[in-house]
Amino acid sequence: MLRRLARWAGSIPALLPLGFLAAIVLTLVFATGLENFGLSFFGTDWNPSTGDPSKAVFGIMTFVVGTLITSVFALVFALGLSLALALSIVFYLPPRMSQVLAPFVDLLAGIPSVVYGIWGFWIVAPVFGETINPTIVRYLGWIPGLQGPVIASGVGIPLAILILTLMIVPVTTTLIRDSLRAVPQALDESGLALGATRWEVIRRVDIPYAKRGMWSAVLLGFGRAVGETVAVFMVIGDATKLPASLLDVSYTMPGALVGQLDSAFIQPNYLHALAELAIVLFLITFVVNFAGRRFVSRIVVRPTGALSVRGAGP
Amino acid sequence: MSVPGEKTNGSVLATQDLSVWAGDKQILKSVTLEAPDRTLLAVIGPSGCGKTTFLRSLNRMVELSHGLRVDGTVRYLGQDIYDARVDPVLVRRRIGMVFQRPTVFPMSIYENVAFGLRLDRKPEDEVEKSVVGALQRAGLWDEVKDDLDRPALSLSGGQQQRLCIARALAVSPRVLLLDEPTSSLDPAATQKIEGTLQELREEMTIVLVTHNVAQAGRVSDRTAYFYQGRLVEVGPTADLFENPKDPLTEEYLTGRFG
Amino acid sequence: MNATEDSLVGTSARFRRRRRVDRWLGRLLPFTFLLVILPLLDMVYWIATRALPTFSWATLTTNPSGTSGGLYGPIVGSAEILAISTTIAAAIGIAGGIYTAEFASERMAATVRFTTNLLAGVPSIVVGYFGYFALVLYFGWGASLIAGSVTLSIFILPYVFRSADLAFASVPKDLREASLGMGSTRVQYIRRVAFPVALPQVLNGVFLAMAIGLGETAPLLYTAFWNNFPPTGLNQPVGYLTGLIWNYYDEPLSFGTEVTMAFQAAFILMVVVIVLNLAIRIIGGIYARRLRGLYH
Repeated sequence: MLRRLARWAGSIPALLPLGFLAAIVLTLVFATGLENFGLSFFGTDWNPSTGDPSKAVFGIMTFVVGTLITSVFALVFALGLSLALALSIVFYLPPRMSQVLAPFVDLLAGIPSVVYGIWGFWIVAPVFGETINPTIVRYLGWIPGLQGPVIASGVGIPLAILILTLMIVPVTTTLIRDSLRAVPQALDESGLALGATRWEVIRRVDIPYAKRGMWSAVLLGFGRAVGETVAVFMVIGDATKLPASLLDVSYTMPGALVGQLDSAFIQPNYLHALAELAIVLFLITFVVNFAGRRFVSRIVVRPTGALSVRGAGP
Repeated sequence: MSVPGEKTNGSVLATQDLSVWAGDKQILKSVTLEAPDRTLLAVIGPSGCGKTTFLRSLNRMVELSHGLRVDGTVRYLGQDIYDARVDPVLVRRRIGMVFQRPTVFPMSIYENVAFGLRLDRKPEDEVEKSVVGALQRAGLWDEVKDDLDRPALSLSGGQQQRLCIARALAVSPRVLLLDEPTSSLDPAATQKIEGTLQELREEMTIVLVTHNVAQAGRVSDRTAYFYQGRLVEVGPTADLFENPKDPLTEEYLTGRFG
Repeated sequence: MNATEDSLVGTSARFRRRRRVDRWLGRLLPFTFLLVILPLLDMVYWIATRALPTFSWATLTTNPSGTSGGLYGPIVGSAEILAISTTIAAAIGIAGGIYTAEFASERMAATVRFTTNLLAGVPSIVVGYFGYFALVLYFGWGASLIAGSVTLSIFILPYVFRSADLAFASVPKDLREASLGMGSTRVQYIRRVAFPVALPQVLNGVFLAMAIGLGETAPLLYTAFWNNFPPTGLNQPVGYLTGLIWNYYDEPLSFGTEVTMAFQAAFILMVVVIVLNLAIRIIGGIYARRLRGLYH
């Protein structure tokens, strides 16, 4: 009896993460006051109208667009870079070199968000404003979406993409590296033993084998990019409008949440709208992470010693 | 037979004073051994005797393990495979390998066998011919001919291992190296693979590393006995089994049988 | 059989192309590390350049006074927030990790791990909103040291939890069987056998959580609020280093003292984070060696 009680009590800490998830959802739902903004919630017009709250309109689409543009581009760049880094670490570099270089990628994950922000805002932004963005417009301006305008200070979507890329590279690199390391050595050697070059084995054996892990990198990297708050807020310009081009200033969902709560303290419908925006952000990251975690691969060794990927064959 | 082939008096593969070092430790000690054409050479010995290292040094797989150093020569049709101008990729093309555990790739049965051929961008009809031929020679054709598009991972362990043999055969190597290919299989699957090997030894050079002395007796023409990194004795299998010249060999064989 | 086919020196155009692709990839791919290392160096260089010329003992010992002054208050605030939130997260995380690795059924362990990972994926500002609405408003704690610390502890909990779980789950099975076989109870086994083995990895999780907690801003902005002075009680608002950067980084005078203070705070954060990362790496090395020893 006492033992059963102890066991039950012992399980409480293990259940707390689930409890916190539930508490977060319930609190946010309660915080919306169940106010219904109707279809206009998914519109592009966001005007809290602090002077006359009854005229307020809360459409979250500008934030959604800003978040998606920056996250998708950052994800694409981060995946490319991560694949190159992971292949170098696992296959191409001598082990000792890998041991020296790999920690730099982890260090990137340790740098605080505000530090990325202040570096981006003061040090990198001028480079974008004076050099990078004008150069893009000059040579690639004929491509729709890259025609300008150039923001003189350099803040805006391109800078946000750069900062976001650096911030999610550690996440995607770790996942891709681990999925490549999970390829059985004998499988990798079999490819080489057939007279394939290192790269041919990587492309035709290792990467296909690690596919599930790659998908987890795509999804979890995206989830991280979507939720990144402070650094992006500091470098994207925070303009509540649809960006005119990929070089324009923009605003993201987490950015709006972190930047506007203090203006909403005393305006109930504004507070409700932000809580609803928080729920939308939570749902997006929840779904993406849920899917991503499912993809983290599991390889089964059969009693015969033969390999099989779960779900393949009888 | 090509010109370099003649120079070796029928030996397709021959080692001369072959040593492998792991740092200060010598794990293979000056092995001189020949693998003649159209014969199956079995390499036996207790675990840790260096037989797998020996095998892996015959197609330069040994280079993939960091910190191993190779000394001496390995000649394939007279050419030193460790020569600076020689490309290990081509060595492995001519000298195929099958591993302890089945190592099928995560793709269809057909694509597994076609793997090596695709690297050369061979025309599809040629690829198909080679795939069918290889599956037949590996003794797997009848079992899989109707579902070549199935994932190879759905095959049983024994079938997977024969698929690995077919995959190695598809690029028509001169030599096939096998590293304890039946150690993870049940007796029935082992028997099938031994049958395959008995047919293959008529047409190519095979080096088989095995911890199973009886298997060496059943399938090999010649047998080499390794002990503590050294080649103790080599000869026609029947001679070696009946009249081992070295007491070490005798001890090992009687220990195994008696 | 002909001589060219038996030759081991590749001459065909197709073969040379295959080799060339492979060789150049092997040479070029490692250079992508520059894309990681150069931004890091640039960051360290410029933040040091903007922070150090005016850095003095007073920076560490005086409180901010509106638009100038030192960082004493936020440094103490950061330390207090970190101490409280790490204690809470470590208590829950280590207990939960031990339960998951040692006592939970396989199915429950899988569920717990999954939800822990999902909690780790919740954006920091969403956790901050939870803290603001639930703790500050509904519980009536107000923006305070305790509200901020509890909110932050929820955010960093998954890192301690996962490390502790992994640490106890990786203790070799035979060690456990030997210990239980000799008649020790589970609790004795955990305390005398598993804990010493798992400790470095557990500590690693705690340090990782500290590094992340120290660098977070969004969970604290509306729960801890701000204070120029060290807090005098759990229910007082508190200043902290990331918050100082957030408040001061875009003040209008670009080389004004506020911005310099922000850079100084960034410099301190960066140094501490790098030191914590080094500690994690060293402890990780010790742990890996110890575990390898046990498995052989």
